[in-house]
Amino acid sequence: MPQSKSARTFRTLAGWLVVAIFFFPIFFWTSVAFRNARDIFDWPPKLVNFTPTVKNFEQVFGISLGFGFGTQETVNPGGGNFYMAPRLVDSIVVATFSTLLAIAVATLAAYCLSRMQFRGRHQFVNWVLSTRMMPPVAVAIPMFFIFKQLNLLDTYLGLVLVHGLMNLPLAVLLLKSFFDDIPSEIDESALLDGASRWTIFRRIVLPMAKGGIAASAVLCFIFSWTEFLFVLTLTQTSIKTVPVVSSTFVTSIGTAWGNMAALGAAAIVPAFIVILLVQRHLVRGLTMGSLKQ
Amino acid sequence: MKDSLRKSYLASITDRFVRGQMSRRDFLGAATKLGLGAGALGMGFGNRPFMLSKAQAAEDLVPNPEIIAWLKDVGKPFAGTTLKLATESTPPSNAINGQLKKYFEEATGIKVEIEVLPLEQVLQKLTLDVASSLGTYDLYYIDQSWAASFSQDVFDPREQYSAKADLAMPNYNLDDFLPALVDGIAKYEDRWVGVPYDIPIFIMIYRKDIYEKLNLKAPETLEELYSNSKIITDEMGPNVYGTTGQMKSGHYSLECDWTAWLWGHGGSIFGPDGKFTGNDERGIEALEYWTKLKATMPPGVDGWTWDGQGQSVAQGVAASMLSWGEFFPYFDDPTQTKVSGLCEVAVPPRASSLRTVKETGYGEIPGVGHQGGSSLAVSRYSKSPDAAWLFMQWATCADTQALITTLGGGTGPTRASVYDDPRVLANARVGAGTTRHLPIVRETIAKHMGSEPDLPEWAQLSSDTIPVGLGKYFAGSYGSPKEALDDIAAQVDAVMKG
Repeated sequence: MPQSKSARTFRTLAGWLVVAIFFFPIFFWTSVAFRNARDIFDWPPKLVNFTPTVKNFEQVFGISLGFGFGTQETVNPGGGNFYMAPRLVDSIVVATFSTLLAIAVATLAAYCLSRMQFRGRHQFVNWVLSTRMMPPVAVAIPMFFIFKQLNLLDTYLGLVLVHGLMNLPLAVLLLKSFFDDIPSEIDESALLDGASRWTIFRRIVLPMAKGGIAASAVLCFIFSWTEFLFVLTLTQTSIKTVPVVSSTFVTSIGTAWGNMAALGAAAIVPAFIVILLVQRHLVRGLTMGSLKQ
Repeated sequence: MKDSLRKSYLASITDRFVRGQMSRRDFLGAATKLGLGAGALGMGFGNRPFMLSKAQAAEDLVPNPEIIAWLKDVGKPFAGTTLKLATESTPPSNAINGQLKKYFEEATGIKVEIEVLPLEQVLQKLTLDVASSLGTYDLYYIDQSWAASFSQDVFDPREQYSAKADLAMPNYNLDDFLPALVDGIAKYEDRWVGVPYDIPIFIMIYRKDIYEKLNLKAPETLEELYSNSKIITDEMGPNVYGTTGQMKSGHYSLECDWTAWLWGHGGSIFGPDGKFTGNDERGIEALEYWTKLKATMPPGVDGWTWDGQGQSVAQGVAASMLSWGEFFPYFDDPTQTKVSGLCEVAVPPRASSLRTVKETGYGEIPGVGHQGGSSLAVSRYSKSPDAAWLFMQWATCADTQALITTLGGGTGPTRASVYDDPRVLANARVGAGTTRHLPIVRETIAKHMGSEPDLPEWAQLSSDTIPVGLGKYFAGSYGSPKEALDDIAAQVDAVMKG
């Protein structure tokens, strides 16, 4: 039904308003990263008319941007040592490899649960689901003892394993629903043509479920990227991810908001890049199965 | 130019010059325009403006060569060892981690890994380490409120010093630690739970320009603090409020504020029989005073910890605070705050009456100058206790403390001799990392210090039971101060009974 001009204008304005509401916190947080400490709490708040500085980024990433210095040795008077560049790398490594691990195992498990008939299949799905119901804090301390015995404390391998396992149930359940939406007749036709299960999975089902895999991978990446408790408990000095080091900007004489915002603003970028890379598949994946045939 | 603006500008140019961001010629030119001669700036030709120039500071602020030589000698057997310490992000820890530990590592070959965390996360890590006895950390950063809880899990430094004569640092001098701090921070019953490592303590910080404008003088009594604050709020609110607080419901900071008012009104947390006495007549009087005082604070104060409290002064919203002295160097930093050079310090207002230690329980020491702080100790579960003991001696010796105080931004030393160290005295000027407040800190420690009780349940009581109850009171959940305090008393009793 054609809409009137005023209705279209209203719809556009409403759309922009929603975008602005969602975008404002990111904009404001990023603007804090470019402010001097004394300008952050200006009242009334200045959205744009402040003197910008890159000092916070220099201190956090240990790079000179031509306006001063910022190295690992720099200590703010009375504040902290805020050199955090290696911590961003830690986050990228842990999130990437734990996502790969979770997706690799989950696609195989989800395909089996979707296609193969075996005793206790439904109970197995329920059991997978139940592991998501356990509060992480209940397992964090036992994990600490196990990891200490296995020398996995404060290692990439330890965090990749724990984040991979943490995301596995979600990925299995999501991917199973995506595989369920691919007609099983396709598999049966391929079987009749002599294809093996592995060939069907690799050559036929997997390409068709690309969107679902992308959506699951993005969710796994984001959950790992933002996970706090396990990283806090299972690391010491060698490795730390962004959510945990963000709390170190809280010092005994106040919070270094500018530095925290600089790290936070920079931390948005890798997650954003991942989403951009899979965006095409993501939209398809998120709408897969929304129409019943 | 107004005096306040002149001071602010002077602080700004001085800081830029000290940091090497302004040439001597430009600095002198700007100072001349302000009407200050070289003599007024305390600088002879070729000497230091406000005592310190950047190049000279870098030369001066290195460890004593004799200590480095001793470390080289005694540290050889431990080369290749790695030590771990989890600590709050405090000026001493940050100065050691960022700038000083390299000297120790180079001299001994011992690697030191320092994990910097917010205070509550440090407690979680230490608790896990103690529960598992795994020795994942070699050194413990122990907040004074945890001293009783960890007292059996660390070595007593006096025993270490006498038992390991070959590892004892010459002239380490345990007696140099301020006795009040040993009692308040590091001692539980007869044991030393490490040595005093840092000392944040409540002092009176106020805006001299506002006080002068309204013809007020620094408050000497709690009633004067209230009347000054009320006058400022009435005259300058809602742009500027008389005072401020750290009154976040359920947070330890709320308990810290409470003790200052409680002790200042002659009350105490516990009586000699170990019963909670915060709800007696004095306690009720203190809470009534606090309620009255809160009306002179900025709105939102009951959502702030010390962070928000400090920000309210730094942004010029509040004209005074009775709070941690280690904020003062931050206020003096023109790049961080709007009040550089405008704040002054005084000892805390006098208590209307004060109980003696004998009239309290669990070693509680009443005093308006609420003392925080932490100790540094070697863990009993450490795999390398001797190497950790070497590090601990170095990190807490007088020379390192002087470096920490100057490099770490004017934090309060825990040793008497460091207050008189020329390097520390040289930083007593307006600007970032000033030490000009330290004489007041020292006097407060000696004459006005209040210290929390030492008992194993204190960590829970101070960080949960009491501040949650007080938070509910300020949120209006109780009909009167007595009702609130009686309820807190009942809850404290329940915790004590286990």
